[in-house]
Amino acid sequence: MNNFKAKKVLLEDLGKNNPVFIQVLGICSTLAVTNVLRNTVVMSAGLIFVTALSNLTVSLVRNVMPSRIRMMVETLIIACYVIIVDIVLKAYMPEVSRQLGPYVGLIITNCIIMGRAEAFALSNPPGLSFIDGVASGIGYSYVLLVIAFIRELMGSGSVWGHHVLGDWWTNWSIMVMAPGAFFMLAVFIWIVKGMMFRRQEGSS
Amino acid sequence: MKKGSFAKKRIYPVIFMLIVTVAFISVTTVVYTFTKDTIKLNETLRLKQAVLSAAGVRLSKDPAKIEKTFDERVDEVTGRDGKVRYYAIRGEGTSEIESYVVIRTGAGLWGEITAGVGFDSALETFRGLEIIDQNETPGLGGRIDEAWFKEQFAGKRPPLSHVPEGDKASEHQFQAITGATYSTEAIQKLVNDALEYARAEIKVGNE
Repeated sequence: MNNFKAKKVLLEDLGKNNPVFIQVLGICSTLAVTNVLRNTVVMSAGLIFVTALSNLTVSLVRNVMPSRIRMMVETLIIACYVIIVDIVLKAYMPEVSRQLGPYVGLIITNCIIMGRAEAFALSNPPGLSFIDGVASGIGYSYVLLVIAFIRELMGSGSVWGHHVLGDWWTNWSIMVMAPGAFFMLAVFIWIVKGMMFRRQEGSS
Repeated sequence: MKKGSFAKKRIYPVIFMLIVTVAFISVTTVVYTFTKDTIKLNETLRLKQAVLSAAGVRLSKDPAKIEKTFDERVDEVTGRDGKVRYYAIRGEGTSEIESYVVIRTGAGLWGEITAGVGFDSALETFRGLEIIDQNETPGLGGRIDEAWFKEQFAGKRPPLSHVPEGDKASEHQFQAITGATYSTEAIQKLVNDALEYARAEIKVGNE
């Protein structure tokens, strides 16, 4: 595998092909798990693990897999990895598992994973697919972490469960509710896209 | 269409799917088998912790201490079918029953809520509430698992109703969670029903 290609895949998934703010995938979980930073971190780790491994696996079987049943196979592979994440969380991090509740199971339906398997892993070698999976996962994670940080700070006055803003701060309840996530995501896309357009205009 | 393609087009996908399914289910089974005991242990510990916490017993997070306190002070009262009906908790160092805890399950927004509800020995006031399992929306309904919410039930008298979050609550009221009316009402129903259940069960048990 040549390094140049790997690097390009990695950078594209983080920036101009970012799953969240360019492809606008995985929005359900972006809205749902970003009100507390800790849950976001665990969710992101789970997602990176699942996208990377499902991409790798799909890529490994891509040449022997009949294309008609590829969706079934992909779903099965993804579901298996998610169940493993769920079991491991239950066994070794019961507290976090309890807090995340149904969202771990919902990783199965995260469109980023299926999207990457379909759009990338089916037509690329395993190594590169694995990198693409990790990169997409990170691309998703850092957007979520930024949003979660701001939502938790403004909505609960805390970071990672520790109170950092004093009594003078009035919590913005709307930030921990679903609309807060819509506002934050929209502002995030606005800023990032604005910067991208400006750079394009500058270079042309 | 060529003849020999029938096997390739019809049979091969079925066999392929079969192999993939068996392979992945085997992997999952292996992981499950290895972690089964740990998960079971976590769940039992969680239940013991919940019973003690619902009874208003302050605890450290040390698993060994939770086990010890539970063994020393808690009686599991089982029904005729061998299932646990309720828990009776003795006072520290005495044999007198200090409080009762029942485990109840009620409907939440997304799934069931299972909680331990504690009462004093006369079944007149709540001792505490501890959520054992819930699937409410994280950050909204999920806040039923936050300390401030659960702690406010201690000392309250049934039947309970709710007031908006942040308002002053009387002894028959508790503070709701903003943005999670349904989950709040689910808890309200759960704790009120728990008392009825406890009154029915425990009287029978004493006589």
